[in-house]
Amino acid sequence: MAKMQKKWIVLCSAAIGVIYASEYYASNAQAYLPQPGTGLQAPGSLSSNGPASGDSSLPTGNPLSGNSALTNEDGESSNDSASALPSASATASSPSPSSANKRYNDGTYTGTGSNRRGYIQVAVTVKLDKITDVEISDFAMHYSESDVVNLPDEVLQKQSSQVDNVSGATYSTRAFEDAVADALSQARIN
Amino acid sequence: MKPKVWLKSPKGNVLLILPAFLGIASAASRDWGGAKNALIAVGSAVAFDVGCCLIERRKRIFPDGAFITGLIVSLILSVTSPWYVVAATAAVSILSKHLLAYRKKPLFNPAAFGLLLSVPIFHAQQSWWGAFGDLPGWFLPVVLIGGFWVTNRIQKFPQVFSFAVVYLLALFVLDAGVLPLHAESLRTGGFYDALRPPFINAALFFAMLMLTDPPTSPAKTTDQIVFGAIAGAAGAVIYGLFGGLIYLYIGLLAGNFYQVLRFKFSKRPAKPARPESEIRSYRRLS
Repeated sequence: MAKMQKKWIVLCSAAIGVIYASEYYASNAQAYLPQPGTGLQAPGSLSSNGPASGDSSLPTGNPLSGNSALTNEDGESSNDSASALPSASATASSPSPSSANKRYNDGTYTGTGSNRRGYIQVAVTVKLDKITDVEISDFAMHYSESDVVNLPDEVLQKQSSQVDNVSGATYSTRAFEDAVADALSQARIN
Repeated sequence: MKPKVWLKSPKGNVLLILPAFLGIASAASRDWGGAKNALIAVGSAVAFDVGCCLIERRKRIFPDGAFITGLIVSLILSVTSPWYVVAATAAVSILSKHLLAYRKKPLFNPAAFGLLLSVPIFHAQQSWWGAFGDLPGWFLPVVLIGGFWVTNRIQKFPQVFSFAVVYLLALFVLDAGVLPLHAESLRTGGFYDALRPPFINAALFFAMLMLTDPPTSPAKTTDQIVFGAIAGAAGAVIYGLFGGLIYLYIGLLAGNFYQVLRFKFSKRPAKPARPESEIRSYRRLS
């Protein structure tokens, strides 16, 4: 086995670096191509690594913060509201007039939670301040969907976006929590 | 082997780099769950390796390879993985090393084989945290420095470069739709993801610390280039078609399979694993 000469190592490394840099630049335009109806995040707001900070717990009366501990690509935190993402699309069927105690508009709201390993989109239906239905409308994590298949039921049971962490499926669980928190933040009556 | 000599050996080098990665990643993320997993994985791997060596009546029982396998498994599995998943993955890796062997050499990279099976069997989630997949992008040079050090020591640059070029170009070609493959995963963000943390960290760690495993990769320059190219192309195609996180392992196993076929159809006579006299003396004893 002949040892590779240093000049060849440097040359090959540089060539691979150039290929990588070109593809990196070219791929910027392709970050999470928006699909009709799904509304994904724009480039530059790719990651939200943290757990959903807004404990969107309906019965306990905790107010929704609406901030889903978004982080940028380098893992640094930012205070952007999840609901501020262009992804957020709400389809409120018939927003009922807000009364003094009512905190959420009725309707079906779509929220997205994402991190470096993909994103999850959920459709959350709220009726009379109660979460009546949660559906995973788009699962684009690099993990198996079966990891989080039981989480919608857990949200209905707990009436909260905060679910128990699925052992070994932390990234999917966090993305799901963020997605539900995002949807509920849109339902909130300001 | 004297400790000084062993430390300069390829295994010794890898065994210096991997704990360093573990320490840096744990300290930077302020999460020592990964270190606990490393203890579990190494313990399980060493126990199974020693057990298998005893059953095989091997003369030399020095589980340094099991140490490496255990460390790699723990650096890739998510830090929140249950302890039994970590232990079982390490055990499967070591068992594959002993059960799937040809001329006493493992057919497949043990860690890659165990990690691949851990997904369908144990539903393991892999984060590549030990390749700094959860940390900011400026940790990437640390992977490169450690990887280059090991690659240089074991003289596997042709293989690593061949993998990197083919992998990157194949991703581009698939994304551009030049080949008639329905690479949907790439068009829905997969191409973007593949070039950024944690996927690029995973690819670098994999190329320089797993693909280069001496017992399961070729030594000759030409073979190294073919091996790297097969692993890169297979990995990119699997990623393009299915996404997920197991594409690199499948690429490596494809390369290993090429290596097996090369052995099988090589014209050189099969070298006995042990001298005949040694085998005869064993038979007499038993």
